[in-house]
Amino acid sequence: MTNQTLTTNKSQKEKFLNPFTQLGKNGKGMELDIRAKAIEALKDHEIPTRKWEAWKYTDLKTIANRDYQFSGESSLDQITSFQIPDLEADQLVFINGVYQDQFSSLTYNQNLVTISPISELQGEDKSIFETHLGSLINGEEDIFSALNTAYAQEGVFIRVKRGKNAVKPIHIIHISQASEQPLATQFRNLFLIEENSSVEVIESQHSVGEGVSFSNSVTEILVRKNAGVEYVKLQLESDQASQINSTVVYQEDDSRASVFTITMSGETVRNNLRMRLDGQNIESHLMGINLLSGSQHVDHHTEVHHLKPHCFSNELYKGIMSEMSTGVFNGKIHVYPDAQKTNAFQSNRNILLSDTANIYTKPQLEIYADDVKCSHGATTGRLDEEAMFYLRARGIKEYDARIMLIYAFAMEVVDNISIEPVRNFISSLIQNRF
Amino acid sequence: MLKINDLQVSVEGNKILKGLNLEVKPGEVHAIMGPNGSGKSTLASVLAGKEDYEVEGGEAIFNGKDLLDMEPDERAGEGLFLAFQYPVEIPGVSMVNFMRTSLNAVREYRGQEPLKAGEFLKLMKEKKSIVELDDKLTKRAVNEGFSGGEKKRNEIFQMAMLEPTLSILDETDSGLDIDALRIVANAVNKLRNENNSFLVITHYQRLLDYIVPDFVHVLYKGKIVKSGGKELALELEEKGYDWIKADVAV
Repeated sequence: MTNQTLTTNKSQKEKFLNPFTQLGKNGKGMELDIRAKAIEALKDHEIPTRKWEAWKYTDLKTIANRDYQFSGESSLDQITSFQIPDLEADQLVFINGVYQDQFSSLTYNQNLVTISPISELQGEDKSIFETHLGSLINGEEDIFSALNTAYAQEGVFIRVKRGKNAVKPIHIIHISQASEQPLATQFRNLFLIEENSSVEVIESQHSVGEGVSFSNSVTEILVRKNAGVEYVKLQLESDQASQINSTVVYQEDDSRASVFTITMSGETVRNNLRMRLDGQNIESHLMGINLLSGSQHVDHHTEVHHLKPHCFSNELYKGIMSEMSTGVFNGKIHVYPDAQKTNAFQSNRNILLSDTANIYTKPQLEIYADDVKCSHGATTGRLDEEAMFYLRARGIKEYDARIMLIYAFAMEVVDNISIEPVRNFISSLIQNRF
Repeated sequence: MLKINDLQVSVEGNKILKGLNLEVKPGEVHAIMGPNGSGKSTLASVLAGKEDYEVEGGEAIFNGKDLLDMEPDERAGEGLFLAFQYPVEIPGVSMVNFMRTSLNAVREYRGQEPLKAGEFLKLMKEKKSIVELDDKLTKRAVNEGFSGGEKKRNEIFQMAMLEPTLSILDETDSGLDIDALRIVANAVNKLRNENNSFLVITHYQRLLDYIVPDFVHVLYKGKIVKSGGKELALELEEKGYDWIKADVAV
């Protein structure tokens, strides 16, 4: 690297960080003890380039070169079109990263659960939040986690109390309404699922208008002994919306976690998902769908860390890429020496609907225990021509036959979501996509 | 009903059908027999509209229309049905959803109203009983986990649902045990009437004991080299195909 490029990179980084730093100076960021460390860490981190192995297929130049602003301005007077039909949920609404009390509805029982925007936390909840924040992602990882830890604007804290269950699912709704200047948001969630408790969380992201936006969000999920969580991420923003989304799930003995990432648009989207199975008899499910068109680019990087024996993980990501869209899947299963009797499965299956669509898929297994069952596989192909002909020979038009097959392909993931209205909602999104 | 004139078809540059002529009238059952590689399945596929088959000459007129110019789904709408030799498994598409979409697409093509849910289920039940198809199977995805015989019975079930005027049975008897063969044949006989016709493609005479054809044709090297009545099938069973090959060679 020449001095010239070093200088360019340095100034590009400063330019990128500047609006975030200003936000912090204005005191709009969260007051956190770990902030100072993250601000320090930011000095050492660089914006990834495609020369980095983990960023080989995803170019951040466009994202990094924009001059962002943070804005709570919005003209929305209702948000019903972003709700999920028939879903009875505790609902939190954020527009451009700012909590909207008037659109939210929280009716939970405080003896069972705490559900709160971070800006409104107080008392015991606030101190529990601060104790646990940063225990899974603290800014040492990369520039985006450091940036989020340093200057996150807002977030959701969910605490399901020991032995209790959140009665209703929790739906977090994000709406981006960018004006002429590109909009940035930084969101930070912490879900603490205490012993013998369980919860279902849906987090959906939407856009209004055609403005350019970028969100950098981090979610930490701690699943204590014999607790369970189902977390469904619905990425439904516009073609002008980019995001870096990092989620870490930490699981203790006998716990269950399912994370679904359903991505149906986005300019450049990077989803980092890491599961740490730090106990015995743990069950983990990682599932995702990429349903992409135009020049959308969606990159899933997942890691499953089997640290202890007798655990089960199952990963299934499916991609349906049309037009000039690009999907990236990089899935790593790491089985540590102690993790005997591990069962770990991973599958990435893709359908390319055009000659100009792309998929880059890379499964990685690192196994340091000898008594394990692990498998991985990746397939990429066209729609099954034999099946197409079979359907058409039965009178079904080409267009309808295609939809039928695409829908069936995607539903193998969707059918694993336990909340029926969410399942129905996603299935209607898939059908209406064409 | 169907008139094929001088049909010439190639697959990946290999000429398979080399001037085939055949006429099927309403109510007739024609059997097409012949040794492996003679072009039997190519004929079935090209009539149903499978891609990868290049028609290099000739024509197929179906009820006055140019069959080879139609999309596969249009051919089904016009009343043509292919019972596949190897029915495809389609994971994720339920039998009920598939059958309802198929039936209503065909009805729409024929200018009929879609069936109401209740009427559809009643019709399914009635037609299932004709082929003795288990309720368990229609609750699954299309052909998924079906045995070979169940797949073939499912084809005949679909045929019964769609009420085609011309049904092509492509080696429906292959892989069937004698009981399944009898069920399939009985179903075909029940559906047989003066208005609809069948083209039964088979390797063996066995099926023709149950589905008695009006005509038997021998396809060899891409042409029909011999035609006759049902007794021709018995002759072939007894003597094999060698004498036909010898005749053609001369």
